[in-house]
Amino acid sequence: MESPLHHFEVHTIIPIHIGGLDLSINNAVVAMWVGLAIVAGSFMLAVSRGVSPIPGKLQSILEISLEFIRSMVYEFIGEDEGKKYVPFIASLFLFILACNLIGLIPGSYTITSQLAVTGAFAVGIFILTLVIGFGKHGMHFLGILVPPGVPKIMIPLMVPIEIISMLARPISLAVRLFANMTAGHTVLAVLFGLAMTGPLWLGWLPFSFTIVINGLEIAIAFIQAYIFTTLTCVYIGDVIKLH
Amino acid sequence: MSENNGFRQGMQIAFRLGTELTVATFIGAMLGYGVDRFFGVRPWGLAVGVILGGAAGSLNVYRAAMLLTTEDQNTKEDDDNS
Repeated sequence: MESPLHHFEVHTIIPIHIGGLDLSINNAVVAMWVGLAIVAGSFMLAVSRGVSPIPGKLQSILEISLEFIRSMVYEFIGEDEGKKYVPFIASLFLFILACNLIGLIPGSYTITSQLAVTGAFAVGIFILTLVIGFGKHGMHFLGILVPPGVPKIMIPLMVPIEIISMLARPISLAVRLFANMTAGHTVLAVLFGLAMTGPLWLGWLPFSFTIVINGLEIAIAFIQAYIFTTLTCVYIGDVIKLH
Repeated sequence: MSENNGFRQGMQIAFRLGTELTVATFIGAMLGYGVDRFFGVRPWGLAVGVILGGAAGSLNVYRAAMLLTTEDQNTKEDDDNS
């Protein structure tokens, strides 16, 4: 009987060690490459065929998804400022969505169930917001730590609270995606385990549950990618508007 | 994509608010613990850190909720206008 956490393990496929650094190619890296290839490949395919005014199937899907992302960015960042962040947000959304969906194929690997991956995304976004904030407002950016309309006497109390709430943003971003993907896949593995160990007259019950939960997981894959990118937009918008 | 706006927002609230509060409290506690370790003021750093973290978490939840309610009003106004 395999452990329900077995499919989160990382196996090295091609060991590469350069100067004490472990740069081995493992199954997580391969899954990430597949996600990247699907996103980049589908766009390349759509463009290489020629963009027609009457879109085909693939082109329609890609156009709808890009328009959806663009409206989301405009809603949270604003139309003038948001324009230059659309490519970044779009690649983030599509990559996370592709990785979430690849993870649902039996036998593949869910890279978004690794805290290292989601943490790297979140820390990158956090640094990006700091760079945008300091680049746009200079030292006035530190004013984000003092919310407007706070009495002077409360400022020593509010500044640490604001610092903690700023630091909590990337971590809650990373933990939310990681926890949801890990939890869903663990539930699936446990139910499959029950279906495999039980006798047939009992085993069909957990097996039919796995089908239902797989459908739910597809919805969660979309919703988590959406929430991750929405919150990225909200954080960038906060930094640009500065209250 | 505006037809299932309510569903999307409901899901957003469901997944967002829980982690927001937990993570902020955890960060406050960790910062407090770090202060304890560096300045040797055990247990005051942790005690104050947890409280500040809880406050930060409540603030984050409040802000998220405000954002969602204003969005809700905006969509309602849009519906009225249309």
